[in-house]
Amino acid sequence: MNWHLLGLSFITVFLSELGDKSQVAAIALGSTSSSPRAVFLGTAAALLLASLIGVLVGQEAAEFLPTRLVKAIAALGFAIMAIRLLWPHSEE
Amino acid sequence: MTVPSLPLEELGLPIPQTVTDPAALAEQVTSQPNSHPRWAGLQVFGSTFVTIFLAELGDKTQVTTLLMSAESHSPWVVFAGAGAALVTTSLLGVLLGQWISTRIAPKTLERAAGVTLLLISALLVWDILKG
Repeated sequence: MNWHLLGLSFITVFLSELGDKSQVAAIALGSTSSSPRAVFLGTAAALLLASLIGVLVGQEAAEFLPTRLVKAIAALGFAIMAIRLLWPHSEE
Repeated sequence: MTVPSLPLEELGLPIPQTVTDPAALAEQVTSQPNSHPRWAGLQVFGSTFVTIFLAELGDKTQVTTLLMSAESHSPWVVFAGAGAALVTTSLLGVLLGQWISTRIAPKTLERAAGVTLLLISALLVWDILKG
């Protein structure tokens, strides 16, 4: 086991993700959701899968993915969740 | 073949067998579509997973891991390190969110969280326009 590489990749990714949008989203969703465990599992699973794809597909990923379309869908998803939180609730 | 029992929840109806107490019944009726805990959890998991996954595809962490694994020729070590870091940052995020939720009123929190998610959405749109 290459512990040096393991530590290096941990620290690099940890620092680059700290305060990044996924973590901010996890904070926002975790604070308002009734099931924070589901938020944690969803976030962790999504990040793991994204980096697994990065590792498996390697260099081709950049050309192979329609990044802008994918990001547009993600932007829409976040906007929908935001609107659901901001929409006035009938019971209050 | 398993078919999730959606229709009842989708109609906003209370789930009969779980409700014995009138107060709980009232809460189930007012708290609307996803009142069944397990179904709510699945829905939260699904929406969180899909949006964060799509937002992270092609993002800098993914690029970092692919570059590191390409350079080092030990992709699994890089994945183990990156994976551990990602699980840690999301755990920290959710724990921080939970801690905040004990200090701030739910109504204020919902507004703040809504605005935050809108900002993330705007950030992604900015990324698209810029890239």
